[in-house]
Amino acid sequence: MIVRRVVGWLDERLGTNAGARYLLAKIYPDHWAFYLGEFALYFFLTLVATGIWLTFAFDPAPANAYGSALELANRAHPIGYVIRQVHHWAAICFVAAIVVHLGRIFFTGAFRKPRELNWMIGMTMLALASFTGFTGYSLPNDSLSGTGLRIADSVALSIPFVGRWAASVLNGDDAFPGALLISHLYVLHVYYLPVTIGALLALHLGLVIYQKHTQFARAPRVVVGRRFWPDYALRTLAVFGATLAVLALLATFVEINPIESYGPYKPWIVTNGAVPDWYTAFLEGALRLGPPTEITLFGHPIPPVFWPGLVLPTVTFLFLLVWPFVEQRLTRDTAWHDVLDAPTQLPLRVGVGAALIFDGVLLTLAAADDQTSAALHLRLETLVWVYRVLLIVGPLVAGFLAAHIAAEMRARIHESAVYPSDATTIVRNAQGGFDEEEPQPA
Amino acid sequence: MRVAVFLALTIAGALGATVASALGADPAILSGALVVAFFGLAGAAGSAAIALHAPDNLEEPRHARGPSITSPVPNEALSRGTFGRMWLAALGAFAVLGFVPLISLARKPGRRAATGWRAGVRLVDAQNQPIARDRLANGGIETVFPQDGVELPDAPAVLIRVEPDLLRGNAAPDGYVAYSKICTHAGCPVALYRHRSHELYCPCHQSRFDVLDGAKNLSGPAPRPLPKLALALDADGYLVASGDFDAPVGPDDWDRRP
Repeated sequence: MIVRRVVGWLDERLGTNAGARYLLAKIYPDHWAFYLGEFALYFFLTLVATGIWLTFAFDPAPANAYGSALELANRAHPIGYVIRQVHHWAAICFVAAIVVHLGRIFFTGAFRKPRELNWMIGMTMLALASFTGFTGYSLPNDSLSGTGLRIADSVALSIPFVGRWAASVLNGDDAFPGALLISHLYVLHVYYLPVTIGALLALHLGLVIYQKHTQFARAPRVVVGRRFWPDYALRTLAVFGATLAVLALLATFVEINPIESYGPYKPWIVTNGAVPDWYTAFLEGALRLGPPTEITLFGHPIPPVFWPGLVLPTVTFLFLLVWPFVEQRLTRDTAWHDVLDAPTQLPLRVGVGAALIFDGVLLTLAAADDQTSAALHLRLETLVWVYRVLLIVGPLVAGFLAAHIAAEMRARIHESAVYPSDATTIVRNAQGGFDEEEPQPA
Repeated sequence: MRVAVFLALTIAGALGATVASALGADPAILSGALVVAFFGLAGAAGSAAIALHAPDNLEEPRHARGPSITSPVPNEALSRGTFGRMWLAALGAFAVLGFVPLISLARKPGRRAATGWRAGVRLVDAQNQPIARDRLANGGIETVFPQDGVELPDAPAVLIRVEPDLLRGNAAPDGYVAYSKICTHAGCPVALYRHRSHELYCPCHQSRFDVLDGAKNLSGPAPRPLPKLALALDADGYLVASGDFDAPVGPDDWDRRP
């Protein structure tokens, strides 16, 4: 009743009913894998909601940051405790959901023309989400994240020509930890980065609505699926509820980032076996595997952290960012694609994806090589060399193997499409009835 | 009916969470009630969606493909020839100007090397207490700072006492040696000492340094040895520095030669 009157009031002034009806009656293709991006969306909304609360509870002044974060980690104040736990878990799940969603987009070829732009927006959001996560877990100024910041400072400092400038902008000072470091991270974390992600997210979803969703149904001229209202709205509401239920479950049973046991940051204190949040672990692994060689260029040193800490993630990001165009070049496929590929359709893409996943997982594992070597009773130096060899050989083997399997599976699917195994021939018999004839082998 | 049960769970969970937080119960009870509330919401929406038995093969036409019209600009006068290039050049000039505020953001460009170590400065612990010559037994380790300089970022050093005969070519009072605690790789504290093999070990990226031989690199990604702090004993039997570190502290950068 009230809804009806409000809708009527708005429509009379703005003429919104026609547009609303169009959006509510819009048809979206349905497949379980299409919900992965929605998980990311709901993790982001949870982060914004809990994050707004946290800005009022947290004091980013360097002297007070650790103390006010400790209060939020105190079980005696259940609301702050639960909100901070949900916020940190949501950040971890947010990046994970983006990665899985991008994996789906990649392996089904959803990034192809005309959706290259939306792929690039999605990749950018992945980078921004990781960076937001890093700036966020660094805010409490505890021993673990402070050591991570010191490493980040070293990486910034390692850039040729502008290293000192970059480190000094980050620190707001000519030394680490600079007086303005935490307040720089704070304004990045609560304002610039989330606002940018929010704007890109609106653009991302706007493009999905405007360009219409891709589908597996081989009907290129029409969208085949369900109406938004009420079918799809209920389904996405269920995803929303499930997202929050999982976050609350994690907050109940698994304590994340127990800063009270880390202690405040001191430049001379560190814990053994420390690892960062999972999405930055590949960088930590790369730093551990990198060679100690310091190159000298025109008499200026390029410290060894520059290559694994900055060049590796930048090159990987740029490669993935332009992948739609690389693939277009390699396959000479400039056609319009609203119909998705089966993940085995293009062996080249499967191979590249498998190689990237192999190295990503390997570098992430390498971030815990000290624990692994202790558990396996293996010399650490031996393990580092195993990882270094695998880093080069592994993606080649994994890539070729995956491409080969994909080609074989594609051939099999193709065969079964030509000679469907369940096809039977009906033959009329002499009595006027019908008999099934056994299918002929291909 | 199933939807109603799930919605009842949602209502019970949400109100339960409210009561739990009002009573100041354990956070696990609060978040557990939230699990019930959100699980109920998911279940209600999911079973309502299933109960609809809605068709999933409805169709909607897609847009026409390809370019619409050749140029969206109704009048090409601004973008023609030299005139168009000048507009672009003006834009480029502003981009160059943009570097000015960007560069000025580095309020204190450069890098301060503040170790606080000079000849005669006493070694102190984190409580600013001086280190007497009998402070450590053989195999002992302590983090030390220059007196009144505990907060200086490049100051921390590790003081280790070893059997004097084991040291290679170093004159060390009573077998005491001191090295910068800031790793030359990525600035982490080199916090672990394996006293049997006499090596310092960085827990961040596993660089190993030989304590007996000037903290030379044994393995790991650090490019240089840890800077060494030469030591002496003062008249009162306290350890003092006999100068600054013998090399710059921490990782190198473009503007600092190793």
